[in-house]
Amino acid sequence: MSQPSVANFVLKRSWLRKWMLPLATWYSAAAGYRQLGLKADDLIPEESETVLLALKRLPPNEAYDRVFRLRRAFQCSLSHQLLPVEEQTKPEDDYQYLTPIIEEIEAELAEREDLEAMTVMKQNK
Amino acid sequence: MLSRSSLGRGAQRALRRQCCSQPTNRRGLAAPASGSFAYQTGDSSGIKVATRDLWGPTTTLALVAKAGTRYEPLPGLAQGLEKFAFTSTEKRSALRIVREVELLGGEVQPYHTRENLILQAKFLRDDLPYFLELLAEVTSKTRYDPWVFDEHVSTLIQFSHRKFLANTSEMALNSAHSLAFHRGLGTPLFPTSSHPFKKYLNADFIGGYSGRAFAKSNIAIVANGADHSEVTKWVSEFFTDLPSTTGLSSEQTKYYGGEERIAHDGGNSVVLAFPGSSTFTGGFYKPEIAVLAALLGGETSVKWASGYSLLAKAAANHPGATVSTKSMIYSDAGLLTVKIDGPAKAVAGTTHEVVKTIKEIAGGELSKDDLKKAIAQAKFKELEYGESIRAGLELTGTGLIQGGKPYQLDESAKAIEAVTEEQVKKVAKELLDFKASVSSVGDLYVLPFAEELGLKV
Repeated sequence: MSQPSVANFVLKRSWLRKWMLPLATWYSAAAGYRQLGLKADDLIPEESETVLLALKRLPPNEAYDRVFRLRRAFQCSLSHQLLPVEEQTKPEDDYQYLTPIIEEIEAELAEREDLEAMTVMKQNK
Repeated sequence: MLSRSSLGRGAQRALRRQCCSQPTNRRGLAAPASGSFAYQTGDSSGIKVATRDLWGPTTTLALVAKAGTRYEPLPGLAQGLEKFAFTSTEKRSALRIVREVELLGGEVQPYHTRENLILQAKFLRDDLPYFLELLAEVTSKTRYDPWVFDEHVSTLIQFSHRKFLANTSEMALNSAHSLAFHRGLGTPLFPTSSHPFKKYLNADFIGGYSGRAFAKSNIAIVANGADHSEVTKWVSEFFTDLPSTTGLSSEQTKYYGGEERIAHDGGNSVVLAFPGSSTFTGGFYKPEIAVLAALLGGETSVKWASGYSLLAKAAANHPGATVSTKSMIYSDAGLLTVKIDGPAKAVAGTTHEVVKTIKEIAGGELSKDDLKKAIAQAKFKELEYGESIRAGLELTGTGLIQGGKPYQLDESAKAIEAVTEEQVKKVAKELLDFKASVSSVGDLYVLPFAEELGLKV
C-alpha cells in the first residue's frame, strides 16, 4: 500500500517539473512532519498486510531508526513542542526507505494474481 | 476400415518420428558401451558436459557442483545454497519459475550430498533449452536477498534440523562420519544444532559461497536422454555469466576413528564404521571392501525371508533388529558402515554378533559359496546403483569435475569380479587393526560400549 502519487507523471515532463518543484518543496516543508523529525515514509499507514510485511523486510538499522523517529515524534507531539532546527529532518534525508519494498511486494502480489488468472492454451505443433 | 485421415496427426507424427528422424549417433542396445555409463563427454565454453542419449520422451538434467558439505567454509552453507536454488532471480520471481516449470510438466529438485550440490530437473525432451537457461539463471543470477533468507531459507533449514534430530539412524551415520573424518567429509549433512542458521548463515555469505560453488571449473552438466550436440550448443549459449574463479577445495581426507554416544528417546541405532574404499579414480580404491560389504550384508534380497547374508543370519536371532552394511565411497576416502536399528536389546545383541562375524572372517572362517555369492551381489549392486539415473548423474558429474572423466563403472565391476578370498580376509583383518568409529544413539543403558564389543577405539 504505497501512497498514491502523481510524481512519475510530473517528473516525465520537464516543464511541469520545473513548475511543480517549488510548490512541492513548500508543501512538504509546510506539512510539518519534518519538524517532528519524521520522514515521509513514516506516515504510510501500517494497518495492511503488505506494509507489515515490508516493515519486516527492512534492514535492521533502518527498522531501528524508524522506531526511534516515531518515538521521538510522539514525545514532541505530547509535549506540544517542535524539535530544535538542527534535529529536524533535512530535505535530503527525507528519502523513500520503505516505498521500494512495498512496491516490490505489490508487484509480487500482482504477478500472483496474473498467474492465477492465466488461461493455458495448448500449443499446436 | 480406418481411413488415413482418421489415424490422426499424433499417430502419423509418431510413425514419422520412428522411421526418419533417428539421430545418427544413437547406439543400438547390443553395441558395447564405450565408457562407464556410456556417457558422451565434452567441454562447452569451459564447462564440462556429459550426456547420454537414451531413447525416451523425457530428459533428466543435472548440474553437479563440487560444493557439498565437505567443502563449506562455514557450517550450513551448502544447505543454504541448496535452499536458495530456484528462488527469485534478477530476471524472474520464484513464483514464476515454479509456475513455468509446472506448465511445462517438469520438476526441479535441488539436493546436496557430502561432496556435491546437485540441481536436478526432469522434463519432456523438447524443453531442454528452457531448463538449461533456467539452470544458468539460477547459478549466476539468483538474488541472495536477506528477506528470502529470513522468510524461507532459514525456516527450511530449521525444519531439516528438526527432522534430522528425530531420526536416530541419520544421527548415528553422521556422528560416525564426524568421528571417522573430523572435518571435511565429517561435516554433518544437516545442521546438528541451531548454530548454523542462528550464528553463521546469512544471505551475503551464501551469495559469496555461490560465486565459488558455481565457478566454471567447479561444475559439470550431466544430461540423461538428450542429444549431445544440442546440450553443448545451449550450454555455450546460456552459461556465459558464470564466474571463472577458482573452485572449492578441501584437504586430503584422513581417517581418525573414535566413539560417540548420544542419548535419544526416539529409537535406537548403532553404526560401526571402518575405513573403506574411495571411488575407482580416487587413489584408495579397494574392491575387497565392496565384496566384504556384500558378504556382511544384512538386507534381504528375496521376499518373505530375512536374507542369507552373514549379518542377516546373525540378526535373525534378535527379532526387530535390522542390519544394513554399506560401502560409502567418496572421492578420496571411504567408509564401510554397518548400521543396526531396532529395539535397544535387539540392537545390542546384534551389534555383538556383527563384531563376532567380522572377527570370524578376519580369522579365516569363510566359505567359498558365501564369497561367490558376495562377489556376484557386490557386482550387481555396483552396476545397478550406477545404472539408476540419480546416482549415475552424480557419479558422472563428480568424476568429470575431479578427474576429467566419468565414473568408470565397467572397470570397478571388473575389479570386484577379480577379488580373491585372501584379499577379503586380509582386508577384514586390517579393519580390526584400525581404530573403529562407533556411534550409538538411543537408550545408552542398554547399547554397548565399543570396549565391550572388543573394538579398538
